[in-house]
Amino acid sequence: MAMILMLEGKPHAIEILRWRPHLVLRIDGRRHEITDIDDGRDGHRSAVIDGALVRFVRATDDDRCHLRIDGRTFEARRRDPRDEAGGEDHAHDGIKAPMPGVVVEIHRQAGERVARGEKIVTIESMKLQTALLAPRDGVLARLKHAAGETFDKDAVIAELEPLSGEA
Amino acid sequence: MRKLVSMIDTNGADFRRFDAHNRTLLAKFREKQSETRHARPKRDLERLAKQGKMRPRERIEKLLDPGTPFLELSSLAANMAYDGESPAASCITGIGVVSGREVMIHADDSTVKGGAWYPLTAKKIVRALDIAIENRLPVVHLSDSAGGFLQLQSQVFPDRHMAGRIFRNQSILSKMGVKQLALVFGQCTAGGAYIPALSDYNVIVRGTGAVFLGGPPLVRAATGEVVGVEELGGAEMHTSVSGVCDYPAATEDEAIHIGREIVAQWEGPKKWDCRRDTPEPPAYDPAELYGIVPDDIKTSFDMREIIARIVDGSRFHEYQPAYGATLVCGFANIWGFRVGILANNGVLFNDSSLKGAHFIELCNQNNTPLVFLQNITGYMIGREYERRGITKDGAKMIMAQSCSHVPKFTLMCNGSFGAGNYGMCGRAFDGRLLFTWPNHQIGVMGGDQAANTLAEVKLNQMKRNGEAIDDEALKALWDETRSAYQEQLSAYWSTSEIWDDGILDPVDTRNALGVALSASLNAPLGTPGYGVFRF
Repeated sequence: MAMILMLEGKPHAIEILRWRPHLVLRIDGRRHEITDIDDGRDGHRSAVIDGALVRFVRATDDDRCHLRIDGRTFEARRRDPRDEAGGEDHAHDGIKAPMPGVVVEIHRQAGERVARGEKIVTIESMKLQTALLAPRDGVLARLKHAAGETFDKDAVIAELEPLSGEA
Repeated sequence: MRKLVSMIDTNGADFRRFDAHNRTLLAKFREKQSETRHARPKRDLERLAKQGKMRPRERIEKLLDPGTPFLELSSLAANMAYDGESPAASCITGIGVVSGREVMIHADDSTVKGGAWYPLTAKKIVRALDIAIENRLPVVHLSDSAGGFLQLQSQVFPDRHMAGRIFRNQSILSKMGVKQLALVFGQCTAGGAYIPALSDYNVIVRGTGAVFLGGPPLVRAATGEVVGVEELGGAEMHTSVSGVCDYPAATEDEAIHIGREIVAQWEGPKKWDCRRDTPEPPAYDPAELYGIVPDDIKTSFDMREIIARIVDGSRFHEYQPAYGATLVCGFANIWGFRVGILANNGVLFNDSSLKGAHFIELCNQNNTPLVFLQNITGYMIGREYERRGITKDGAKMIMAQSCSHVPKFTLMCNGSFGAGNYGMCGRAFDGRLLFTWPNHQIGVMGGDQAANTLAEVKLNQMKRNGEAIDDEALKALWDETRSAYQEQLSAYWSTSEIWDDGILDPVDTRNALGVALSASLNAPLGTPGYGVFRF
């Protein structure tokens, strides 16, 4: 499977064709041979790419990698295909009850804009109060239960405006 | 494995409120712990100094390899018993490194009633030796105990898991080929005398160390014989005449030195080959744990936030992320050791129970140790769930968990109520080690529910007796019942009774689990297999 590397905001597809005797990659459809590859640590490093020596400085920061080559700085980031999964369909429009219970508090009203992770309602079930969070950024379309009302497991408690409905 | 993405806003109002709350709890814990460790009556300390004896903690410090971790167990045992007369149950136990070997240390504390064993002292020593048996850890006893505390002898002496169990465990350890060393610093009388006698090696300090079944006063009372301590059971006599002790030492320092040399002679451990990667710290700051665990036991939180602050690189491979969502299962590394984690994100349903049972089986087949993170109010109740067989699904989880042959560890992150405690490897299920956080509460039901139930019973009683009941009296009754019950729910009660192996600062959890996992590998894996699952 090709991995996607984000460089200056643009995705590049990188496929590893061979590890030995030296690394062979296909980057955006073109084949490159990399010899004398370094150990992957930060600092002054070099690699031989298609026979040419490339010197660079590398600093990694969490999931980003900063590279300085020929006086220019680049930021590279590996894009995880799982980050995209599910984000743009309608699976995240409804906020479902993970357990049967009763609504104890409503934090946000219909029509309000909510950010991912924000509390929408708090429910109580089996002596446990659980805040239901916005699964993504969006606009709260409707709340299906008022405070004090009971509901079954997997009942939809609140709905977000579908993404396609936004600009 | 993929890095967990935290949804916590560390500047949010909730975070700051929880953080303040938990840091207050922690300060109370630290204060209690420090008092238990260090505060002793001046008289007792002066007596110790006059005898030229070190305090037990100084002995441990000199015994351990410099710069190595010491995981103290049950540091607040007996904190709510005997009117606080027996700090840490009058002894210190823990896992440390001596001459490069992981060992269990048991040290009597003679600054408290001559190191006499209270009922909970016996329980704590028995537990330490159980841990030594389960993990095949060699034991170093730092002996300085007058034996059983006579006033409470009926709770120290006769039953199966009382003082006799210490000597039974010592014998079993020896049979298993697990080494024991006793350093005799003070008078070891009666029960205390068998500890050096049942150790493979022992060292006795001249002048202060003594071993005898009955001390001089008892001998005089029994037979009329008048005999001094040295003559009756001192270092000279035992190392040259009776053979009860092996090495005489001029001072406590020398005894510790000889002890370290003895441990260095022992064969090295043969650990089983648990998968181990290069350790890395969590990507999220463990100190953020204080702001995640809520200030109300009823408020839920996402256990992934806890996992992210305990495991290597905050990386977690979640198993069945969309199924049985109230039980989070997955693989992660802790100090490089690959573990399977089960963590409660709500009440256990049929699907989450089945997922848990299945995941436990996967870990057993893969020889992956299990870590249970408890915050559980129980299994789901109600007609629909009974019809779906919630009890048999819970039973499957209990069966899989009980019969696991891989090491198990339990962490009480918050509440532990009802049968959920069982499925999630509560104390009864022989986990290698079980730790609690200061906010932890445990009971068959929560404080409010118990108060409701108990107050109702009492109310009916009063009605039957024709007593008048007004709202105020009712409220007082409820409050009284709740506070009485509440005390027994607390982590301090739990740790006082040694239902756990100690309270931890949440930030220390990762290190404690690292020591625990490393120690657990000394024992070979058990025999795989389960009983009959009810389908």
